[in-house]
Amino acid sequence: MTEKIKMACIIDDDSIYVNLVKKIIETKKLCDNLLIFNNGKDGIDYFESILQNLGHNDIPEIILLDINMPVMDGWEFIERFTKIQNKFKKRITLYVVSSSINATEIEKAKSLSSVENYLVKPVNIDELEAVFARTA
Amino acid sequence: MSESIVQKYVIPNSKICYWELNDNTSFWSLAFIAALGYDTSKIETNLDFFLNQIIHSKNKSVFKDNFYNLVRYDVNFKQNIFLLNNEGEYDEYICKTNEELDVNLKTDSKAVYFFKAKIKTHEKVNGDYYSRETAEMTSIGSWYIDFENKSTYWDQITRKILKYPEDYIPSLRMAPKLNAEEYQAIVADAYFNCAMSGTPFDLEILMVKSTNEKFWARVIGKPVFNHDKEIIGVRGIFQDIDDFKMKEIHLKRTSEIIASQNSRLFNFAHIVSHNLRSHSSNLELIVHYIESIDDPKEQLELLGTIKDVSGSLNKTIEHLNEVVTIQTNADQHKENVSIETTLKQVCTSISQIISTNEAMITSNFEAGDVISYVPAYMDSIILNILTNAIKYKHPDRHPIINFKTSIDFKNEDRLILEISDNGIGIDMEKFGDKLFGMYKTFHYNKDAVGIGLFITKNQIESLNGEITVDSKVDKGTTFTIKF
Repeated sequence: MTEKIKMACIIDDDSIYVNLVKKIIETKKLCDNLLIFNNGKDGIDYFESILQNLGHNDIPEIILLDINMPVMDGWEFIERFTKIQNKFKKRITLYVVSSSINATEIEKAKSLSSVENYLVKPVNIDELEAVFARTA
Repeated sequence: MSESIVQKYVIPNSKICYWELNDNTSFWSLAFIAALGYDTSKIETNLDFFLNQIIHSKNKSVFKDNFYNLVRYDVNFKQNIFLLNNEGEYDEYICKTNEELDVNLKTDSKAVYFFKAKIKTHEKVNGDYYSRETAEMTSIGSWYIDFENKSTYWDQITRKILKYPEDYIPSLRMAPKLNAEEYQAIVADAYFNCAMSGTPFDLEILMVKSTNEKFWARVIGKPVFNHDKEIIGVRGIFQDIDDFKMKEIHLKRTSEIIASQNSRLFNFAHIVSHNLRSHSSNLELIVHYIESIDDPKEQLELLGTIKDVSGSLNKTIEHLNEVVTIQTNADQHKENVSIETTLKQVCTSISQIISTNEAMITSNFEAGDVISYVPAYMDSIILNILTNAIKYKHPDRHPIINFKTSIDFKNEDRLILEISDNGIGIDMEKFGDKLFGMYKTFHYNKDAVGIGLFITKNQIESLNGEITVDSKVDKGTTFTIKF
């Protein structure tokens, strides 16, 4: 609880949602840096590239991942992310944040070992704070 | 009455019905009289009585001729006749003379024998009639290919089904042209396997009549063996199953349409659950956030975000409206629409885009051009696919888009429009099933909304058509529309 999260990552194509969450994180000072990707492909490209080049500080401790996205959806991101997750020297906690209330999707996400939890949009501020606090 | 010679020496069996003829008299066996159920005292056993009272009038004159010819010229005969019994009903008998009998009963005297017909002749005729009628009504013709004589035989029903004249002699050489081109290889294979290894076959294929008319047929073939178990021919049937097959195709199509309508409804439910929910959840988050902050300036700023959300919410509802309108409008405003003219109009309206992208558009509408359609839909379909093809052009080459029509002979001669491009293509394995979904975008284009193909598919399906896509990454995409 003492250590504040340095970097978080949002992978979501809904720009209104992204801007709102960004604003909340900034106002509540939930973390220092925020990475934002509009779809799974951009996200996974980043994680695959920092494995080789970037340092410890560029690795986010937390990922808030949407499911329905163009180009590469959340499922495919999870599939590819799971393969490289253990190679990072830092624990990365993955949350699925989606507006889908489809029971099979929720169960599917929760059953995946690499997914910490499934949050249904809208996430409220308390939930967001809890996520950032727990991870830290 | 003296005891007859025949009775005494030749046929001691009293059950036999016969007449013995001597000079001008005739002796009727008791069995004959008994068979008809008459009392001997009440009838006259002579020819006149027989002709006038017993034999059916329709047999009378022929019998009379036969009888005189026997008596005068020793001409043997065999005739089926109907005789009136004591109960006033006619029984059928086969009437034979010595010569016509299988057993050797030769005597000097002449005799006429009567055998009660076991199976009534008219029923026997009916039996043949029924099996032929069955074959004709079910349209089953039979055929035989004789390897030893290198010849082919057809029955009349086969000729009738295939519309060849009754005296037409089929040959092996003409056999391939009986089958529609796309089935020739399959049929040739089946015949070959049957002839070589004796594998029977049972196929449903499109056949061609002498009039070039195509129809669905079931063809069954089995090998024919000689005593040495060598295959000496192939025997089988043709059945005209066009009616059934057409119904089957129709049913299949209907069920496909229902399945796709169901998946569209599913998509709809998803849209409501996801796309509308994402707006409402954003609104909720904003309100929640506004409540949590005290700075009025910041609160005002957030009100601007509400405007953004309501804007996208409106867009989504507009799109949904468009889709709902398609479903309810399907029956209206059908006109004869020329695809070629529509394409020209679309090209004119987007000439700017075409020239900036140096796109080349080719077309061939020889197979068909005008169909009864909703003009606005045709316009929208062509515009959508054409702009997509240009939007997703390959970075290394100018876009070439080809429009081509053809006819689906297998399927009620429906018109097919193929639109192929040389664009960047799409990974069918990954996105194939999502391509026509709402708000599904697959490329990095910023202006991709993911509504176009969804609308296109809805328009086509609302008019009972189908659209499919085939694509290869880096090669291009082909949309196939069956109207």
